Amino acid sequence: MSSPPPPASGEDAVILYAERMAAAVGLPLDPARKAAVAQHLALLLAAAALVLEFPLPEEIEAAPVFEP
Amino acid sequence: MTGSLGPPTLAELDAVGIAEAVRSRRLTARDAVEATLGRIAARDGALNSFTAVLADAARRDADAVDTRVARGEDPGLLAGVPFAVKNLFDVKGLTTLAGSRIHAERPPAARDAAAVAALRRAGAVLVGTLNMDEYAFGFTTENSHYGATRNPHDRERVAGGSSGGSGAAVGAGMVPLALGSDTNGSIRVPAALCGVFGLKPTYGRVSRAGTVLFAGSFDHVGPLSRSARDLAAAFDALQGPDAADPVASRRPPEPSRRELARGIAGIRFAVADGHFARGGEPEALAAVRTVADSLGARGVVTIPEAHRARAAAMIITSAEGAQLHLADLRTRPDAFDPLTRDRFLAGALMPAAAYVAAQRFRAWYRARVAAVFDGIDVILAPTTPYPAPRIGQERITVAGVEVPMRSTLGLYTQPLSFIGLPVITVPLARRSGLPLGVQLVGAPFRESFLLRTAHYLEAAGVVAAPIA
Repeated sequence: MSSPPPPASGEDAVILYAERMAAAVGLPLDPARKAAVAQHLALLLAAAALVLEFPLPEEIEAAPVFEP
Repeated sequence: MTGSLGPPTLAELDAVGIAEAVRSRRLTARDAVEATLGRIAARDGALNSFTAVLADAARRDADAVDTRVARGEDPGLLAGVPFAVKNLFDVKGLTTLAGSRIHAERPPAARDAAAVAALRRAGAVLVGTLNMDEYAFGFTTENSHYGATRNPHDRERVAGGSSGGSGAAVGAGMVPLALGSDTNGSIRVPAALCGVFGLKPTYGRVSRAGTVLFAGSFDHVGPLSRSARDLAAAFDALQGPDAADPVASRRPPEPSRRELARGIAGIRFAVADGHFARGGEPEALAAVRTVADSLGARGVVTIPEAHRARAAAMIITSAEGAQLHLADLRTRPDAFDPLTRDRFLAGALMPAAAYVAAQRFRAWYRARVAAVFDGIDVILAPTTPYPAPRIGQERITVAGVEVPMRSTLGLYTQPLSFIGLPVITVPLARRSGLPLGVQLVGAPFRESFLLRTAHYLEAAGVVAAPIA
């Protein structure tokens, strides 16, 4: 019995995620475009990590109608 | 208003100057419009800021203003002022492009956008629509469908974006007044790179009804001009509640024009440090110091977590923008501008937790920044980290570090529009070199402090927008 492949990481993981997510939600992902989309997605995921790592108090909720 | 000696020529008049001349019968609206059409014909071939020039309609509208003047009727605060709008504003009878080929297939708009109608009611005359980044998703107006708009100070350089046509048309003196929209910096960046004034009002202060949205959580509309008093006059014509815009504030209008004469007495200033003092070229940071010195601003203030605010703004923008265009991304991705398509696709694939966390972070950040304004009225920050880059440039070296050129233009603007603060970018008066802007940032609904400050700086000769 062969062992499962190691989980993808870094750039490969983002490309895999982009491929599978695009397929799941019915977005065409032209092979020629895949790397560029994954690159932009990686930037967004880095931004997401920056936001998600911030220790927000639980009671903070998004304002449905935003009044500055 | 201008750097020239003697009375200003017709081309040099600002919007208020034109309106005063029309109202007092020293100038006809028709002559003002003919002069504008002449300048567009002479200059826009090289700059590519207009996507439509509405010469016949403008002449008719100008004649109607002149008829009202002749009859002794009030022709409005902006009587006879030629203006143009970014092509995401609906103009009755014209298809609203929003910088795209996809929207070019749509039927003509049935009515004017609220902001266009408001300026027309004030007597201003629409002369055309202006180029932009596709769906406002960019800071450079390098539009692959309609061509790049060129900077009037150096045609090899970008005009900024996404309201690049607005910046270039005002900077080149083709129109004294233009409308743009600002989600992450799209009024302030082109105003700064083209050397003009730009106002992004408080979120909800000016109706967005009849505009093509990009990221509704922080889409704003506002004016660009060559004087602070023009911003005030346009703002007064534009501001107020509108049931047709779901986020429009119900606060009554607070006229700003008469406030200008009050100067800066009593206004408390501080310079933003941290995020806003890093990552820019020395000359962009020095511009802030020049303005601060003129205002006697000695204090510094920290806007907490501004870098994270920028990250959250990117996430919300990408998710909301992608969602708006999802059907077209699915069925005809090739119809998009290559400069926006891959970023929209990436936005469509983002995990939901990122979006929700970014919105929650926004609520936290809004409260923290509100506390910063407890002891300060106006915060000073650079508008862009560097002056206009070259068209087509991918990367740029800033303070010794190489960064992507296009996205980095929003470094200092994104953390502010993210929570809807009112901001004016003022053009630093320079003897040589490319234009640079400085942001005057206020607490929500305190536009009058910003307008008074901009007017003071202009009178002091520290900021100026001579025709390029």
